[in-house]
Amino acid sequence: MAIGAAARRGRTPGTAARPRRLGLPVLRGIYWLVIGLLYLPIAVLLVFSLNANTVLAFPLRGFTLEWYERLLSTPALLNAVRNSLVVAGVSSVAATALGTGVAILVSRFQFRGRSALAGLAILPLLVPYVVLAAALFVVFNALGVTLSLGTVAVAHAVVALPYTTLIILARLVAAEPQLEEAAMDLGASYPTTLRLVVLPLAAPAIAAAWITAFTVSFDEVALAVFLAGRDQTFPVYLLGQLRFAQTTPVLVAAAVLLMGGTLTLILLADRIRRRRP
Amino acid sequence: MTTGIASKPPGEATRGRRLDPRRGTFWALSIPSWLVVSLLLVGPLALMVAFSFRPDMRGALLAPFEPSLRQFEQIAESGAYLRLLGTSALMALAVATIATLAAYPVAYFLVFRAGRRAALYLVLLLVPFWTSYVLRVAAWKVMLGSDGVINTALLGLGVIGEPLDALLYNRTAVIVTLVYVWIPFASLPILAALGRIDIRLHEAAADLYASPFEQFRRVTLPLSLPGIAAAFLMVFIPTVGEYVTPLLVGGTGGSMYGNTIYSFFSRAANWPLGSALSTVMLLVTVGLVLVGLRIVRPRRLLGT
Amino acid sequence: MRPKGFPGHVRGSVVLAIAGLVSACGGASPSTAPTTGPTVGPPAGTPSAAPTEVPPDQVTGSLVVLDWSGYEVEDFWRDFKDTYANVDVAFEFGISDADIYGKMKGGSQADVFHPYTGWLQFYVDEGLVEEIDTSKLANWDAVPDSFKALGQFNGKQYFVPWDWGFTSILYRTDHIASVDSWAVLFDEQYRGHLSMWDDGPGAVTVSSYIHGYDETAITDEQLAAIKAEWTAQAPLNLTYWASEADLIPLVEAGDVWAAYAWQGAYATALADGAPVAYANPTEGRNSWVGVYGIRAGTPNSDLALRFLDAKLGEATGNSLVNLYYYGSSNADVMAAITDETLKQAFSIDDPSILETTNFTPNLTADQRDAWTAMWEEIKASQ
Repeated sequence: MAIGAAARRGRTPGTAARPRRLGLPVLRGIYWLVIGLLYLPIAVLLVFSLNANTVLAFPLRGFTLEWYERLLSTPALLNAVRNSLVVAGVSSVAATALGTGVAILVSRFQFRGRSALAGLAILPLLVPYVVLAAALFVVFNALGVTLSLGTVAVAHAVVALPYTTLIILARLVAAEPQLEEAAMDLGASYPTTLRLVVLPLAAPAIAAAWITAFTVSFDEVALAVFLAGRDQTFPVYLLGQLRFAQTTPVLVAAAVLLMGGTLTLILLADRIRRRRP
Repeated sequence: MTTGIASKPPGEATRGRRLDPRRGTFWALSIPSWLVVSLLLVGPLALMVAFSFRPDMRGALLAPFEPSLRQFEQIAESGAYLRLLGTSALMALAVATIATLAAYPVAYFLVFRAGRRAALYLVLLLVPFWTSYVLRVAAWKVMLGSDGVINTALLGLGVIGEPLDALLYNRTAVIVTLVYVWIPFASLPILAALGRIDIRLHEAAADLYASPFEQFRRVTLPLSLPGIAAAFLMVFIPTVGEYVTPLLVGGTGGSMYGNTIYSFFSRAANWPLGSALSTVMLLVTVGLVLVGLRIVRPRRLLGT
Repeated sequence: MRPKGFPGHVRGSVVLAIAGLVSACGGASPSTAPTTGPTVGPPAGTPSAAPTEVPPDQVTGSLVVLDWSGYEVEDFWRDFKDTYANVDVAFEFGISDADIYGKMKGGSQADVFHPYTGWLQFYVDEGLVEEIDTSKLANWDAVPDSFKALGQFNGKQYFVPWDWGFTSILYRTDHIASVDSWAVLFDEQYRGHLSMWDDGPGAVTVSSYIHGYDETAITDEQLAAIKAEWTAQAPLNLTYWASEADLIPLVEAGDVWAAYAWQGAYATALADGAPVAYANPTEGRNSWVGVYGIRAGTPNSDLALRFLDAKLGEATGNSLVNLYYYGSSNADVMAAITDETLKQAFSIDDPSILETTNFTPNLTADQRDAWTAMWEEIKASQ
């Protein structure tokens, strides 16, 4: 049917019908300008990670791989990176799941407390993380909960919730409910409808929400400082090491490696996807 | 264009009288959502507000205490904190507006022009945020500093005679940096909203002889308003309490309200005053958002 | 005060300072003080087992230490690690004195923690720290009396000093010929090229040095005057700095000409070839000391005490000195250092510096609240 075709077409990002001629070169230019600005500091970091100087300043002193060598033999740093990856992975999944749930509730149901739920889901944006961190610290200690990466992950899921909710909500709100009603008229239960109609429609938004939640968690420091217990996440480790000016280039090398590794993975994934028929 | 569930096609009116067949799902989704927000958010928030009424840090933190308005009195007497809150709110307004405007073309590009690589392009936007923010800003400072790339280039080209001091350590530097940081995130809700626009609407508009600009103005833009609203909120609200960027590039004149709160927690160990400042910020920001929503009339935006 | 970045490739500077300090202030322990203790057979320098039945390497248990990032490295608890091989030591981290204090107040279960002078009174007043039985510390005699006194309150020993260093004015000799006073931070002719540490008590300290106020008894009028002068000073800064990694690039690039700075910044900039000098102001330099304390109510008091004792050990002290180039509170460690490289760079040979050095006093909670609030108002009104 035309509706289905349109829906399917609209679902895949980038293949929505093009409103004609709205300045493709200009748009492309804006995108790449933004990308350039985003990656410029990373390029600078790359340069400094190979620079034989402990301070991030020009003029450059000379090429060296010393910082990368030291990086690989600093277990505390490597552990911190691993911890961050784990925490971000777990919390982003939780935040996305919760955000999807809230978005569906708010956009598809009428109930008392609907505005309240939406407001509460967005409320973490209003609270400075350091305040939430201190409060959670006191609460967890009072309840006898051991502080660990788990408590950090929980806190991260809460603070990422506004982002996931807003992104998925923006998508679900614009979508019409007729498809779901049609599916239910055809005999599908609501869970099945969600699974087969709503979630696929929202899939790009859910993916975007997940990446956002991951990013929010990975770079977050205030909550991790308070709630991490024995295991440091990468930003906390960085913060602690900044006191020691000598270790700065090693930290820079770590950031560059992380970036390089991630970019490589993504470009690989893209290459694989393009090879598939 | 109607959105949300408030509107039902005619003839469906009878459906509401029977039990909503979706109620199982409703409860399955509701219970975790409410549990999480109340235990992990409302609880600590209530604690924070309670702390605001604490006279000082003495004694066990969870022990009962004599409530006192001392912290709020101090804030009112000082005047400086409230003025800073006002300035921070204005800065946040500027950042949110510019970032949302700049993010729109990015989102538009990704949805309508990026083709099959849209997912890749989207991820490319976000990946830089997996480097430490502190290090990235350090790199920016190097570029903007008096010895940095920009000044060296301008000096070399003879455009300026002396290094520019004004690129760093002031309020403008804070706003510019914040806008730059927020653009990728702000593009996400807009992207989510744009992606759902039905192609037949564009075809219909074209059939009615609408120019591309009119297509945009009368079809695309209104349909993407929920995304724009979401993006604006997502940027504005946390920026009022922002502290990391002002700390790094604000110098002495660019500090924001969030810096004061952060300092009272992490440098002064004065949680009651920090909490009181946070409570004030919470009330003011919620107030601003509610007023703003009233002006923009959310019914059409969020389908409420 | 708070810990600082360690001096770069500079050796022995603070070491020699301690040696000088010991002799100049007439520290009770002669430089050949033996490490005494009940003879249980361990080699000299290791903490002796307090009268218990169990030999050290069979002691089991676990200990949690709340410390600053970097000190979890085994070199900094080498003596404990080597002696008590079966004790599990885990670290929790704090990023500032306020953070550590907040965590201890907020219910941290750490057994041992590491604050700095200026913040110690609060732990005592709030009952967060346990008294230390110094008779059980084998290495206690190696600590100079002046350092021991820093950890004493109401006649009782609550803290064991461990690391220390200086604060003074770091300046670029190519822009400023010489700096004789802390007042250079207020000098209008250096507008836009100064940098102060982002800390209220630090600002009050500087003002007290300049005007001769009694730091432990600042009156309301004095505080108002201090607030006024630092409000006027704020625009003179290029920026405040929060960590040495912020300050050092600015000094090395020549953007900052004079700054309130810890010794680590000086040493690093010097080693990187910048034309810098570290002032000996007429009012005297400042000195800060880091200490370890035992959390009140910990079930691991005995282990914690052994940990503190081991911290004073020679291997640990040597690591502190050689790896981080901080001073150690163990006078023997200091006296045993022979490296002369930067004696000259730090003017360590000049005992008058040490005689005029002011140790950071401990704040009361009211002072802390008043001085930090003053500072935040100054910053908020810019």
